[in-house]
Amino acid sequence: MTEVHDGTLKRGGPPTGEAAASLFRQRRYFALTLIAPAALILLLFQVVPILMGVDASLRRFSLTDEEHPFIGLRNYQRILSDAQFLWVALPNTFFFMLASVAGGVVLGLAIAMLLKQPFPGRILVRTLIVFPLMVAPVVASIMIAWIFNDQFGVANAIVTTLGFPPVAWLVKPWLSLCIVVLTDVWLQTPFYVIIILAGLETLPREPFEAARVDGANAWQIFRNVTLPLLRPVLLVAIVIRSIDAFRVFDTVWTITKGEPGRQTEVFSIYAYKEAFVFLNLDRGAAASLIGAVIIMCVGIVLYWGLRRVTEVSR
Amino acid sequence: MSARPGAGGALRKGWKKVFLGLALVGVLGLFLFPVFWLTLTALRPESEVFYVHRGSHLTLANFAKAWRAPKIQESFLNSAILAGLATFFSLQVTVMSGYMLSRFKGATNKIWFTAIYLFRTVPYITWVMPLYLLTQSLGLYDTYLGLLLPHVAVHVCFFSWVMKGFFDGVEPELEQAAYLDGCSHWGAFLRIILPQARPGIMALGILCWLFTWNEFLFALILTGSRTPLLTVTMAQFVHELGVEWHLMSATAVMAMIPALVVTLFAQRYVVSGLRL
Repeated sequence: MTEVHDGTLKRGGPPTGEAAASLFRQRRYFALTLIAPAALILLLFQVVPILMGVDASLRRFSLTDEEHPFIGLRNYQRILSDAQFLWVALPNTFFFMLASVAGGVVLGLAIAMLLKQPFPGRILVRTLIVFPLMVAPVVASIMIAWIFNDQFGVANAIVTTLGFPPVAWLVKPWLSLCIVVLTDVWLQTPFYVIIILAGLETLPREPFEAARVDGANAWQIFRNVTLPLLRPVLLVAIVIRSIDAFRVFDTVWTITKGEPGRQTEVFSIYAYKEAFVFLNLDRGAAASLIGAVIIMCVGIVLYWGLRRVTEVSR
Repeated sequence: MSARPGAGGALRKGWKKVFLGLALVGVLGLFLFPVFWLTLTALRPESEVFYVHRGSHLTLANFAKAWRAPKIQESFLNSAILAGLATFFSLQVTVMSGYMLSRFKGATNKIWFTAIYLFRTVPYITWVMPLYLLTQSLGLYDTYLGLLLPHVAVHVCFFSWVMKGFFDGVEPELEQAAYLDGCSHWGAFLRIILPQARPGIMALGILCWLFTWNEFLFALILTGSRTPLLTVTMAQFVHELGVEWHLMSATAVMAMIPALVVTLFAQRYVVSGLRL
């Protein structure tokens, strides 16, 4: 066996017959060995928990009760008829996703275009601007919550210095949610800046020169040349970030905990509270699975859209 | 060329420079102000934290006090060790899976790729809640092992994908040559290809450490009093009577130190390693 194998590996023609089949089997075995550890971890610590969650969601399952009778889809019914989930948590989640991604893309583009210009200290600025990306969302949330603290925050100090009455930032649901979005934009904008700057460096020069020869101004060049050329890069960033934004937890939990009056809950917070605050693990599991199905659909649509668009632009 | 358009151009260029400078200062100011303010709060004595305008005293007392607060030192140590272990194992596992994704074609590859994409979209809350039950029934709740494996699982999908990118950048001819020289599959992978991808892998390792250090939701649900982690312990300065902002700020600043170190000293390495 090994002799045949060694023989086929001598320089020259491709392996044939028995030897080729053996090589193929070896290669296949090698491929499976390569993914085995990752697949095992995924299976044990993601697939199994998800299945346990499905199981729990089909039972009456509380942390305080020993018996877990099977009750079918009743938990799903409860969640899907809960106005708090349908009309507060879900809309908030989508608002957060759209606002945070849109804010990040627009700011990221603007800052990337700015940092593309040559100026003294450019490397230092490029270095500093990445910092928020490395900071823990919890730490960022503490910073922003402190700045917007009703009584002692610097935001209100500025507002009152300018002669306006102080604003109760984190008391109004709307404003609270916007502050959470702001925190996320602060954290994530550097991600877009890095990706866009890298994308800008790979763009061909000819279209820009042609546009300049044609007398286009800076805005026209940006709008008609830079943006379309950057589209594949932007779309990848948008897909990645949208999926991440949908499951936001850290910032919302640290800044508002879903308060006031549960008005700033996003879907992850809703599921967490259902399970660990109200101690209905079954309903929490059902809510989290409904959310998972929604984001999976969004993810698949985004992925298809992305593939189609990038193929067209090639 | 007449003089006028030239002069107008110069003027416009001057304005453009001023505008650019202002925009830069504005952007940097907005992005760095929260960090500055947090650090300033951490450096102020307790009595002056609540007066925005006043107070020119700066002190390190808050740091000392926060450092001696219950569970803080333990949390720093636990978070650092957990992040180190999670980085080591995540890289081990995903470097193999990423290599497979990059070099093999066919059904297995397609299935694995689809699985990775789909499982990456699953919200953390969906599997961390049952993980609470799972780790408890396995007796792993609130232990290193019970935290480590989920933290590796978090990274499997995304990192496999990133690793694939690293290996896509290494030419397949290298392996062909290695096979012809009598290398086994493992030999070619470990000795020839892996060193080529090392910069990217190191960069990913640095980020992985930071991600785990910064992680919150898993820590919140899977830890109790035995294995406290920093991001959760930080909230202990929130009491019913109010928030000890001076201590919380000091802890938060200390928690930011690794991020600062990476930003200042390893960032170019990270960014170029990831080919961003």
